[in-house]
Amino acid sequence: MERQLQRLLDLLDSPGDDTVGTSVRLPVNLRDAAAVAAGMGLAASTTELTVRGLREALEAFAQRAVLDAHYAAHPKARPDLAEVALAAAEIDGNPLAGTPEVVRRAAAEVRDLKDDPTQDDVLLYAAGLAAAAA
Amino acid sequence: MTQVRTVILDNGAVQALADPTHRKHRRVMAIVEVVAARNLRRAGSVRLVVPTAVRVEAGWNRRAAGAATLNRLRVDDHPLDAGAADRASDVRSALAVPVADAHLAAVLATSAGPHAVLTSDAEDLRRIADHLGIPLQPITL
Repeated sequence: MERQLQRLLDLLDSPGDDTVGTSVRLPVNLRDAAAVAAGMGLAASTTELTVRGLREALEAFAQRAVLDAHYAAHPKARPDLAEVALAAAEIDGNPLAGTPEVVRRAAAEVRDLKDDPTQDDVLLYAAGLAAAAA
Repeated sequence: MTQVRTVILDNGAVQALADPTHRKHRRVMAIVEVVAARNLRRAGSVRLVVPTAVRVEAGWNRRAAGAATLNRLRVDDHPLDAGAADRASDVRSALAVPVADAHLAAVLATSAGPHAVLTSDAEDLRRIADHLGIPLQPITL
C-alpha cells in the first residue's frame, strides 16, 4: 500500500509535460456542456476540464491516503471527531467555534445516534444544542 | 458564514505540522482533516497553501529527507515571483511586517477566497487583512 501511495504521489508531483491520447467514454450531456463552457470562454477545452477534474479527484484521494498513513505511523496525531468539528467551525467563522464545550458534547452524543458521524453532523447537532439552550 | 477556499499556513503552522510530537500538531492536523474531507466531497474545493517565504523562514526544504511528511500532505507552494514580490514589498513598506508575512499578504491578494490563515500571530494578520480590505479568518494556534 505504501509503495502504491508513494507511486501515486510521485506521479501527481511529476511535471506532466508528456501527454497521451486516450479513449474516455463521457456522458453526452457532459461532453456537450463542456463544449458550451469552452464556447463561453469558461474553459479552454473539454480536455482541460477533464484533466483538471481528474487531477483534483486524485489529489483528494491522495490527501486522504496520506493522512491515513500518517496516523498509522503516529496514532496520537489523529484528531478526534470533536477536534475536527471545532476546526471546521473555526475556519468557517461559525459561532460554535466559541463554544467548544457544546461541540464536544455534540460529538459525544451524536455517536449514539449515527454510525460514523461527520464533522457536519456534529456541528448541526451542536447548533441544535445551542439553540435549545438559548 | 462561508466555506473557505484557501487555507494558508504561517511559520508556526508549518512547525507544528512538521513534527508529530509538537504540542500543536493535532490541532493543525484537525484543520488538514477538514480540508481533506471537503476535497473528498467536492474535489478541488479547498487548497492548503504555503508562501515560499514562509517555507524559508520555517526551514522547510522540500528536498531534505526530514521534510517527507510535510511534502506528502498536498500543501501547494505559492512562489514569491515578480508579481508577488511587488505586492509583498508594498505591504512591507506600509506595515513594516516581516518578509514572510508580506508574502502571505500577497497570497491573500491573489488566491481564491474566502481565506483562513493558521497562525501564531493573529494580530499582525488582522492588520494585513485590514490593509488589503480582504475578509480573513485567522485561526490562532
